[in-house]
Amino acid sequence: MEASPSLDLSRWREAPQGVGYRRRVIAMAGLRQLLRTRFFRILLGLAWSGGALIAAGGFVFSQSIATGGWLETLAVKFGPRAEAVVAAIGGLVTLYPDICVRGVFTLLFWAHSFFGLWLSLLALTTLVPSLITRDRASHALVVYLSRPLTSVDYLLGKLGTIVGVLLLVWTGPLLFGWLLSMLFATDRDFVVYSFGPLLRALAFNGIALVALAAIALGVSALGRSSRVTVMVWIGLWAVLGAFASGPRTPAWFARASFTHDLGQVRQEVFRLDAVLATASAELPIFDQRFMGNLAAAGKKAEATDFTGALAALGVFVVGSSFVFLRRLRPE
Amino acid sequence: MSPTPVPVSSPPPLPGRVETDFIIETDRLGKTYGTQRALADVTVRVPSGTIGLLGPNGAGKSTFIKCLLNLETPTTGSARVLGRDIRTEPRASRERIGYSPERDCHIAGLAGCEYVAYCGQLSGMPMRLARQRTHEILDLVGMGQERYRPVDTYSTGMKQRVKLAQALVHDPQVVFLDEPTNGLDPSGREHILKLIGSLRRDLGISVVMCSHLLRDIERVCDRVIIIGHGRLLEHDTIANLKNRHRRVVEIAPAGERERFVAALASTGAQVVTLPNGRLRVESASDSIEWILQLMRAQRLPPAEIVANPDALHELFLKSIADNHGSQPQS
Repeated sequence: MEASPSLDLSRWREAPQGVGYRRRVIAMAGLRQLLRTRFFRILLGLAWSGGALIAAGGFVFSQSIATGGWLETLAVKFGPRAEAVVAAIGGLVTLYPDICVRGVFTLLFWAHSFFGLWLSLLALTTLVPSLITRDRASHALVVYLSRPLTSVDYLLGKLGTIVGVLLLVWTGPLLFGWLLSMLFATDRDFVVYSFGPLLRALAFNGIALVALAAIALGVSALGRSSRVTVMVWIGLWAVLGAFASGPRTPAWFARASFTHDLGQVRQEVFRLDAVLATASAELPIFDQRFMGNLAAAGKKAEATDFTGALAALGVFVVGSSFVFLRRLRPE
Repeated sequence: MSPTPVPVSSPPPLPGRVETDFIIETDRLGKTYGTQRALADVTVRVPSGTIGLLGPNGAGKSTFIKCLLNLETPTTGSARVLGRDIRTEPRASRERIGYSPERDCHIAGLAGCEYVAYCGQLSGMPMRLARQRTHEILDLVGMGQERYRPVDTYSTGMKQRVKLAQALVHDPQVVFLDEPTNGLDPSGREHILKLIGSLRRDLGISVVMCSHLLRDIERVCDRVIIIGHGRLLEHDTIANLKNRHRRVVEIAPAGERERFVAALASTGAQVVTLPNGRLRVESASDSIEWILQLMRAQRLPPAEIVANPDALHELFLKSIADNHGSQPQS
C-alpha cells in the first residue's frame, strides 16, 4: 500500500489581489508567450530600428539651424553648393519654424505610421490564434471563468495583450524616436512645433488600436483552429486590402477592407495635404516647379472617403464585438 | 431534505476566510436548455465536509456544479456558495473555490508548472507565492519532472493530476472535482483518492466530488447528494443512508464454511452463499456484535466481516427507480 500523501503545504492566508492584477496577469501571459517566438523578436528589432530612424531624422533636421553644427560641418566637405543649401534650409527653419518643423515631423510620423501599422498587422498575425482560438480549442475558458474572473475581465486581459503588442511595435518606438530627437534638439521650437504632429500620430495610433483590437478579438473568437483563424485574418487584411486598392474598386467595396479604412483615417488625422499646401503657399521658395509638386502631393494625400471609412471601421468594431461576446461562454 | 451540519474534525480556520454553516445553499435552482430541463428546483443546504455528488449520466450533476460556479446561468432560483450569492457577487463567490472539470482543459503552450502557477495568479495570488505553492501541489499530486513539459504533451493521467493541482493551487475553501479519477491507473487512482480524503481532514478544504464510481464516493465522502433527472433525490450523510438501508452483512470465513453456515442458520438468519464464496446474511440490527458473539461461542475461525457492503449502490439504484416516474416536465 502506498503511503498517504503528505500535506505539508504552505497556506495562503492573504486576501487575493484585486481584479486589475488578474487582468494584468492575463495580458502579461499573452505577451510573454509572444515574446518567446523568434518572429516577434525580429519584429521588435525592426520596430525599434524605426524609432531610431525617427530620432536620427529629427536630429539631422535640428542640426540645420545649429551654427557650427554637425550638418554645417558636413556640408563644408561637399563644397559651397551644399553649404548654400544647408544655409537656406537653416534660414527657412529659423524664419518659419511653425511650417518647417510641423511639416517635417508630420512627414516623419506619417511615414512611420505605415511602418508601425504594417509591423502591428504582422505581429497580430502571430498573436491572433493565441488570443481566444486556442483557449476555445483547449476548453481553457472554463479555467478562466471558474476563477474570480468574468468574461469581461478575460476580454480586458486579452485586450491588454493587444495593447501591449501595439505599444511595443508602434507607439513605443514612435515616442522613443520623438523623445530622443527632442533631447538633441537645438531649439525649443522643435519641441513646441513637433508636439502637434506627435498628438496626431498618437490619435491615429489610438483609432487603429481600437479597430485592430476589436477585429483581432472577433477573428480569434470565430473558430477553434489556429490555421483557419490566421487565414481569416490574412484574408481580411491582405486579400481584401489588395482588392480595395484597385483603381476601379467601388467605394462600398473598398470600405470592406479595414486597411483601406485605416488609410483614409490616416490621411484625415495627419492632414498631410494641409501641411504641404501651407508649405507651398507660404514658404518663399522660388522654384515654381517644386512648389507645384508640393501642392500636387498635398492633393494626393487628401482623404477622399473619410466619413465612409470611419463608419466602416465602426461596423467592423461592432460586428467583431458581437462575435467575441457571443462566443465567450465555456463550451 | 434539510440536513443539520455534521460535526467534522477540521483544522482551525485560516484568517481572511469566510465562515459559514453551509458551503452551498440553493433555493429552487433550475436550468433549462431550450425545452430541455437539466436542473429542476434544487433546494439544498450543504454543510462543509467531503460530499459525493451521485447520479446517472445526464442526471444534472455537472450542470449543478456549473451553475454554482456561474459557468452556466441558472434559469430559475438562487444559489450561494460560501455565503456569497453567485449572481450578485460573481467574482467574490469564486475567490475561494477550486474546480477540476471532467473534460480536459488547459492553456496551450504552457508547461505544467507554468500553467498551475498561472492559475494561482488568476485567483489573485502574488507570483512568487503562486510559484512556491505550484511546486508543493505538483509534488502532492505526484508529478515529477513532467511538470516542465508542455501540458499539451501529457497523458490522460497526467492531465488529470495537473487539473487537480490547478484546482488546489490557490488554497481554496471548497473544491469541486468532476470525475477526478478518470483516466488514472490503479496506483494513480489510489494516490488521488487518498489525497482527496485528506484534504478535509488535514487542510480543512471541503470537497464536492462528482463521480459515477460509488466505491470511490463511499471511500472518501462523508455525505452524499443524489441527483436524478435534474432533481435532488437524496441528501444525507453516508452513515444515515446506510442505516436506512436493509442491513446486510457479508462474511468471508478463513475456513470451516459449513460450520459457519450452520451456526448462522441456527440463529434464524437467512444465509446465502455468494459465487465468490462469501456468506451473505440479513442482520436484524445495525451492529455486527451478535456475529462476533456467535463466533466466540461456537469457536469459529476468524472471518472478514463487511457490514452493508453495497448499501450505497443499492440505495442509488432505488432512488433512481423510485423517482423514475417523477422526472421534470419539459
